[in-house]
Amino acid sequence: MFKTSTKALVETASAVTADITDSVRRDGRRADESPAGGGRESVKRRTATLVRVAGMVATAIALGSLFGGVLTESRTAGASAAAAPRLDLETALSGFGRGGGTAETVAKLQAELRSAPSDPDRLASLGLAYQIRWRETGDAGFLPRSERALRRALAERPNDATATLGLGNLALTRHDFRHALALGRRAHRLMPYNDRPYGVMGDALLELGRYEEAFRAFDRMNALEPTVASYARVAYGRELLGDLPGAVAAMRLAVRAAAGAREPTAWALVELGELELQRGRPTVAKRAFRTALVLMPGYVSAEEQLARIDVAQGRLRAAIERIRRASEAVPLPQLVTLYADVLARAGRTEEARAQAGTARAIDRLLASGGIDTDLESVVFDADHRRDVDTLVARARAARAARPSIHGDDALAWALARTGRCGEARSWSERSLRLGTRDPILAFHRAYVEHCLGNAGAARAWARRAVATNPGFSVRWAALARRLAA
Amino acid sequence: MTVRRGGLALALALVATAAVAALFAGRAAPDGANAASHREAPLISLDPAADISDFFMFRSYESGKADRVVFIMNVNPGEEPSSGPNYYAFDPLVTYSIGIDNDRDGSADDVRFDVRFQNEIRGFTNDLGLPLRYIGGGPLPVVDDVDDPGNGLRQAYEVSMNGTKLHEGSLPVLPDNVGPRTTPDYEANFLSEGIKTLPSGIRVFAGPRDDPFYIDLGAAFDTLNLNPFVVGSGIDMLAGNNVHTIAIEVPMAMISHGSSVIGAYGYTSRPRVTVREAGGVKAQSAATVQVQRLANPLINELVIATKDKDRWNGLEPQQESQFLQYYLKPRFALAEQLVFGVPTGCLVPLDGCTPNPPAATGLDLANFNRTDLQALLLRYNSIVYGSGPGGIDSDLLRLNLATPPTPLDQQSSVPGALGGDPAAWPNGRRPKDDVTDIAAKAVGGPNYLSLPTVDGVEANDKPYPATFPFLAAPHDGVTRVHENR
Repeated sequence: MFKTSTKALVETASAVTADITDSVRRDGRRADESPAGGGRESVKRRTATLVRVAGMVATAIALGSLFGGVLTESRTAGASAAAAPRLDLETALSGFGRGGGTAETVAKLQAELRSAPSDPDRLASLGLAYQIRWRETGDAGFLPRSERALRRALAERPNDATATLGLGNLALTRHDFRHALALGRRAHRLMPYNDRPYGVMGDALLELGRYEEAFRAFDRMNALEPTVASYARVAYGRELLGDLPGAVAAMRLAVRAAAGAREPTAWALVELGELELQRGRPTVAKRAFRTALVLMPGYVSAEEQLARIDVAQGRLRAAIERIRRASEAVPLPQLVTLYADVLARAGRTEEARAQAGTARAIDRLLASGGIDTDLESVVFDADHRRDVDTLVARARAARAARPSIHGDDALAWALARTGRCGEARSWSERSLRLGTRDPILAFHRAYVEHCLGNAGAARAWARRAVATNPGFSVRWAALARRLAA
Repeated sequence: MTVRRGGLALALALVATAAVAALFAGRAAPDGANAASHREAPLISLDPAADISDFFMFRSYESGKADRVVFIMNVNPGEEPSSGPNYYAFDPLVTYSIGIDNDRDGSADDVRFDVRFQNEIRGFTNDLGLPLRYIGGGPLPVVDDVDDPGNGLRQAYEVSMNGTKLHEGSLPVLPDNVGPRTTPDYEANFLSEGIKTLPSGIRVFAGPRDDPFYIDLGAAFDTLNLNPFVVGSGIDMLAGNNVHTIAIEVPMAMISHGSSVIGAYGYTSRPRVTVREAGGVKAQSAATVQVQRLANPLINELVIATKDKDRWNGLEPQQESQFLQYYLKPRFALAEQLVFGVPTGCLVPLDGCTPNPPAATGLDLANFNRTDLQALLLRYNSIVYGSGPGGIDSDLLRLNLATPPTPLDQQSSVPGALGGDPAAWPNGRRPKDDVTDIAAKAVGGPNYLSLPTVDGVEANDKPYPATFPFLAAPHDGVTRVHENR
């Protein structure tokens, strides 16, 4: 064990970073000396590099506290040298920070399109970039912009495969799964050897309840290209079938295949962490979420998951603060809903109500961007017993548009919360038909059984809900525990 | 050479590929209030660790080693040397392979080398919990040996031939050249440690090297904005960049099986997964999916049309006949005619080859039947390899083992087929071969032979060594120089 003074450590860290910043300084000096043509571009590059380097160094230092004790833990855990190092450590050490910002890409494409306004390649790329911006910011205004760019591309080149694929993905984003499937199929005909249309088709097929076809599409996708996208889909398929260890294995491959690019790796790490939470391994999950935050500071999905763990482990105030910060950056509805639930748990009912109102407002905003949130709204309203007169009718309509196990579950929940537990039960059974080990599905089933007076069944299902992840729901975990007792 | 490294066309392709891949990694987001949500994956599906930038094969021109064949596979193209604190690495989940054909049937399945990597987190990184990959200098010792405690993410590799490991234990990958404080005197300290001689006499090397390729990418892709008549008019836009190199030197007798000619290609693959995997948890199944392949340089960039690139990437070399039209009617010839205004024609007057002699054809490929290019690139032709079966159309790099190696200081980039150095590409390929010029001249034909250079770049930024592994030391992150106009 090396004993080194803090001073020496700081010196060493500065020595290493000096090597890095030296190179940046030289880069800048040469940029100033180079002829006019290279000047501005090089200065921009230098600034970008400086920012990037500063960022990396800062996060590297920040990682210190995260990994400090934990790294030692791994060493003393008796792991032999031959054992594979932890994925989050490897990921953090193997190269991150690659990939520029999408905002810059958008600006660049817009500038280029000013001089070539009908260029279908750039239009298609811009359409896709807008969708990435939407995901980064939660601003649904990017979606109509995406659609316009993609349709302009298709006007110029009616069989443009990329633009078709982009429209397919847009349809997925808007939860218009039938159109997404049709567009995915069209894209597949236009690029029959490309893996990505299989992703769009498969995602749509899942939401339409056509699971075997979806799984075949995902298998085909990975057989064509072993990317983070295809590994992640196979992982999701396995998760739906209740194979959590298999899902984790595939998602680990996804993290690796993201090849250190910031956003993809961060996303895959969060997905991996969620699976680990479901398996009842919150420590492993937390490390994955924290690594994602190192790659992308403020990454909302990671913050959301860490907040859930905070709540489950009794740190309500920390959770509230974390969610507040995250939702100010990107007000995703599931985040705001979580906020409402946590505030309610903390007894701050007025604020909880306000946040619930905000969540509904955001849902309406999404709707204005073309996103159909009917299924999500139904579950939300069932949770809060809102608009109960129309709840079941809305649930049936939402399920008809999205006849997946989640559609079945939403209808079951709406029926259960309005007292129609007999009918609820058969829909709940349907929602569990794949063997998915989702605690929400199990809890809804427990609730229904309890409602029907089947105490034994209720207890069994409630136990399944809380078995591996007792904090599975801020709103319902307490009830689930009571039903499981 | 794979030109995935710069230029307008590439930048555009990158945006499109990245954005497309990014969007299709996961399901649509956000999911409203539904807790069982899987968010859209924000990803870039570039896979740099599996991206083969160059593949070389040649008889060793090291003194006393003419009886050996050298294979080199470079990955991670265009590495920026100052990319700390995490730098670049090989990927433990990628299998890096070389397939060899020694019976002239066009299938490179007679001999296979596989290289696999592992990561180990150790030393100061592990003990101090400081999440920097390389820690040295200042009060701590410099990193001048792979076993130094400052080498925090140490990679090791294993080499097999036809499925059998060629050595005990594992071999060391050289660390990155960080800078004069952390890794001073890099080459003096590390090169000899990186060259390993295996019990069979095979020598191997894995680690970072100077990127040997040279081309004025910006000008080349700025619609061939080249000045072909002035040597030195171009800028090597890959100057100052590194790659990660795998080099294997094999006694000829071990792989030739008595043949005087061999063919080979390099490829990378990742594990293949399916949703329902038999046998439970498998983090890495035996089945793999090819990520990339490379034999002759420039095929995917200049020969195969965009609409077929996906299909090409998924196939094996011996399936090339379905792309034959691209070789017989090369679009690049049209491009050269358009840009330079000089008619192209058959390089070698094979039977049935047209245009012979060169003729102006305007924008029409109808009169093209470049059977000479088919022979040179896809067959064991008599021009370079003497008599013997030509095999099927197969995109392999081919080497006439009877051609004596040319000493480094006498190597010229005018290939033997054009009356120059008989050991230049397409007879194998050496780091110094100017494949851009050779390709342009071969495709251009007799009228293009007298050009001193096509892209104005004649040499790499660093001189090549005449000894294994034949590539120069990697640039360090502090002193490396990129060239600007």
